[in-house]
Amino acid sequence: MRTQSKELKDFLKGMGFLSPWVIGFVLFTAIPIGLSLYYSFCDYSLLQPPAYIGWANYRELFHDPIFWKTVRNTFLYAIVALPAGMFIALGVAILLNVKMRGQTIYRTIVFLPSLVPAVASAMLWLWLFNAKLGLINLALRKIGISEPPLWLADATWAMPALILMSFWGVGNTVIIYLAGLQDVPKELYEAADLDGAGAFQKVWHVTLPSISPVIFFNLVMGIIGTLQVFGTPYIMTGGGPARSTYFYTMYLYDNAFTYLRMGYASAMAWVQLLVVIALTALAAWTSKHWVHYQGK
Amino acid sequence: MRVLRIALIILLIGPGLGLLFFGPRDTAELPRDRVIVDYWEKWTGNEETQMRSIVNAFNDTVGKEKGIFVRYLSTSSVNQKTLIATAAGVPPDIAGIWDPNVPQFAAMDALEPLDGLAEAHGITAGTYKPVHWKACHYDGKLYALISTPYDVALHYNKSLFAAKSTELRAAGLDPDRPPNTIAELDAYAKVLDTLNPDGSIQVAGYLPLEPGWYATYTPFWFGGSWWDDENKRFTFTDPKVVRSFEWIQSYYRRLGQSAMSEFRSGTGNFDSPQNPFMAETLAMEQQGTFLANYIHNTKPSMDGRWAAAAFPSDDPALTDVTYCTADVLVIPRGAKHVNEAFEFIAYVNRQDVMERLCSMHCKTSPLANVSAKFMNEHANPYIAVFERLAASPNAHGTPPVPILPQVGEELGNFFQRLSSLEITPAEELPLMQARLQKKYDEFIKRQNNRKKPADEMPGQSLEN
Amino acid sequence: MADQPTNHPETNVATTGLQSNVAMLAEVSPQGRKPRRSPFGNALTHIVLWIICAAAIIPFLWMVSTSLKTLEDAMAFPPTWWPSPFQWHNYMDVLTSKKANFLLWTRNTLVIAVLAVAGTTLSSAVVAYGFSKVKFKGRGPLFALMLSTMMVPFPVTMVSLFVLFRWLGDTTGVPWLGTFKPLWLPAWFGSAFNIFLLRQFFITIPDELSEAARIDGCSEVGIFFRIILPLARPALAVVALFAFMGVWNDFLGPLIYLQRPEQFTLALGLQNFQSQQGGTPWQLLMAASVLVILPVLILFFIAQRTFIEGIATTGIKG
Repeated sequence: MRTQSKELKDFLKGMGFLSPWVIGFVLFTAIPIGLSLYYSFCDYSLLQPPAYIGWANYRELFHDPIFWKTVRNTFLYAIVALPAGMFIALGVAILLNVKMRGQTIYRTIVFLPSLVPAVASAMLWLWLFNAKLGLINLALRKIGISEPPLWLADATWAMPALILMSFWGVGNTVIIYLAGLQDVPKELYEAADLDGAGAFQKVWHVTLPSISPVIFFNLVMGIIGTLQVFGTPYIMTGGGPARSTYFYTMYLYDNAFTYLRMGYASAMAWVQLLVVIALTALAAWTSKHWVHYQGK
Repeated sequence: MRVLRIALIILLIGPGLGLLFFGPRDTAELPRDRVIVDYWEKWTGNEETQMRSIVNAFNDTVGKEKGIFVRYLSTSSVNQKTLIATAAGVPPDIAGIWDPNVPQFAAMDALEPLDGLAEAHGITAGTYKPVHWKACHYDGKLYALISTPYDVALHYNKSLFAAKSTELRAAGLDPDRPPNTIAELDAYAKVLDTLNPDGSIQVAGYLPLEPGWYATYTPFWFGGSWWDDENKRFTFTDPKVVRSFEWIQSYYRRLGQSAMSEFRSGTGNFDSPQNPFMAETLAMEQQGTFLANYIHNTKPSMDGRWAAAAFPSDDPALTDVTYCTADVLVIPRGAKHVNEAFEFIAYVNRQDVMERLCSMHCKTSPLANVSAKFMNEHANPYIAVFERLAASPNAHGTPPVPILPQVGEELGNFFQRLSSLEITPAEELPLMQARLQKKYDEFIKRQNNRKKPADEMPGQSLEN
Repeated sequence: MADQPTNHPETNVATTGLQSNVAMLAEVSPQGRKPRRSPFGNALTHIVLWIICAAAIIPFLWMVSTSLKTLEDAMAFPPTWWPSPFQWHNYMDVLTSKKANFLLWTRNTLVIAVLAVAGTTLSSAVVAYGFSKVKFKGRGPLFALMLSTMMVPFPVTMVSLFVLFRWLGDTTGVPWLGTFKPLWLPAWFGSAFNIFLLRQFFITIPDELSEAARIDGCSEVGIFFRIILPLARPALAVVALFAFMGVWNDFLGPLIYLQRPEQFTLALGLQNFQSQQGGTPWQLLMAASVLVILPVLILFFIAQRTFIEGIATTGIKG
């Protein structure tokens, strides 16, 4: 009797503290996800009441070439920008982990670009990528490329331009790796030294396995992040030229807020949610094979 | 270091707090005894100032009498913002959108029909030029009235023509007049092109996508249209439509995509001195009535050195072809003060007010009756040309397609691929025809499906 | 009385405990560690880092350079690096531009930021306390549920959130959409990331501290405010800082919820300024961008450690 009431009291006390989150979760996460599911089976413009249409939205999605185009673009970006960015960040982090003069300054400078708000960096890169007056083409012409790419004005080069630009903001990933590198036990390096390992062997056999949890974490967050890319292409290219930088979230936004097709957009939202869950699960599952948690 | 840190903190917190407590606010002084009518409008800069003067005049006269106060709020992407705000249940009382938006908004039940109010204020079919009256309707109902309309014509730089007069004459062309047919336009353009040694464009005779605002409507000048309103069908495969887009592509084939793109990335915004027509690196441009104002404000030294004429058509028998469009005033559904809002719209549509606004904006008048004063005092020296075009039987409005945003997206993509020579109109247009027709049919099906339950259950409406 | 113990040795134990926790995760410049030699040779490392730093910093310099030019200079071909003369008035032109109201937009952003930062810091701390210091049945599963919500991307919920806020507006009779409410109110219900971060922090605070206070008759709420919160200041700073950066940078939220320019945030306003201008007065756009970036850079130099620790522990970009 007594223990039960204590248990209840503790539960109420705990829930009291949790109540902001519980209310917030129900209101701003659970209900919206549930509503999305309902709307995804409806035709709904907000101006007229929702009309149930069964699987029609999903069927339409499946046959919608623009949907597939945005899926392709988003995955292309994720598959190239994400691993390349992680690779660059890791390389930079390893270099920055070396004790040397000016280390703090180097770290600060590498980090600075990731502080720039997305809108401001979009403005800046629009200017840098300008086909005629941009700094990038200016440099390319200087080094003898007389007809440099038109970047954002060219369907072939717009996506590479956005990917290139994403590398500018890897500073925060570098910081995460640097933090991870601090945790690599130096005994491991000493042991490797004794075995006569070279620099690259040490990176491969000691550094990488030791920070694999950090890599894993970055991978999962990166997947979720790239699937949401919106602001930069929205501002810089509007999805063009020829839909070459039309991303999933932009199409979702357009369906919802340009065409007022809330039901169709909700179907897209659910597809996105399922993909995020699946990819995260996949990353978690494969991580068993390559992520080494130290025994803590 | 510590001092620096403290200095930085003060530098950040000081202005921050200052702004929070003493910064500008989003609240203007509003008269308490009047109905406040919120009016969202796209214009900024001069056009905003001019429209504000109309709003002020209303507030001081009719508004004062009837207890109405119109508050002008300048809003970018006003069409989309209005649509979202209407969906959000917090629409303005009046929105200044573009007439091509009307069918989409009306079809989605985002607008209040205005037939009754317009009739009560004596605004009828005879008030407007036919092309404009039609553009304010969707599905037989009136949803908008015009604030300022314009039509497009060929603008050409007389100095650039004169500079190449010998060459033009050598090619059998008269440097003292504009081209009369598409074939002539091409011939003039070729002569007027001046290329740099590296193949880049120094001066272009004509570029169909510069600015390209009306490229979508090119079929009109070829005697066609991509929309058949009687049968509610897209007609992208009409040979005239195909030919018109092939004509656009011919410029890219001739000048090369990279030269064109590079030319465009070196040009400035429409209202800047770097606008190629005003920078005098483009000899001929398809543009609206208002361009005269921008030339006068941005590059007065060009006044008198340019001229406007009907944009040439493919068939010489087809004369005075133009595309007419307008800025319109609408009352979004769910607006709180419909009648008061309409008072202002009706005020703008009074002939004296309308002519004042349209001449300030340097545009044509939508009204059937145009005063001599308007014609004589207009800032555009070619106003007679534009008025003649707007009243011409070959004046076309925007096809009343309720899925215009989707059409625009498709066409934007189409032009980008057209200009990179990735596709040809003959291959691509049938595919586009099929895609858009399907979208349209689905849209109509959804609308019909939607309307049924709404009629059966009036209480279910989200109106309140 | 009740807070007396916090002034005594135990406090130090607690603080060092949590400091070492942060240090373990985040300490970026290791002090007292043995200098590690470059695997690639020192000179080469410097050269490579020089190139990387140049790539990072040149865009900034170009931005500042353009922001001080005339439009004619900015669009001159070929461009030059050094503006002559410096057009300092570009910055004034931006601030006083008729097409933009950067001061108002900054104020709007600050209003939202203050409300959102206060809300998320306080509510996340309360919830984190529940997840770390109160033992009750169902805590584990709830925590797992909370963690899983971190995965839900905003676009997934944005459509129905929009509908929900519309409904809230219709029901309460006060508009929600077209106001700042959707942008700051949800912050008062905790955010999963912040709760997680603070919870990790709280569990390093020894329970003996709270026990001692409890014996002194301090209530659970009292313990939270008088013992835990003061000790958690570094972690709270991280949460506040990143909440601030979140508001400062957010684009999609304001884009959906705000329609009138008088309500815009700085990020949305900057984009609006650009799209209204058609993107060509490059000198003004760059000056405006500098104005948007500058406060963040100053903030970084003030709170460098907090930034680095925050990123290292949560991995979120500000």
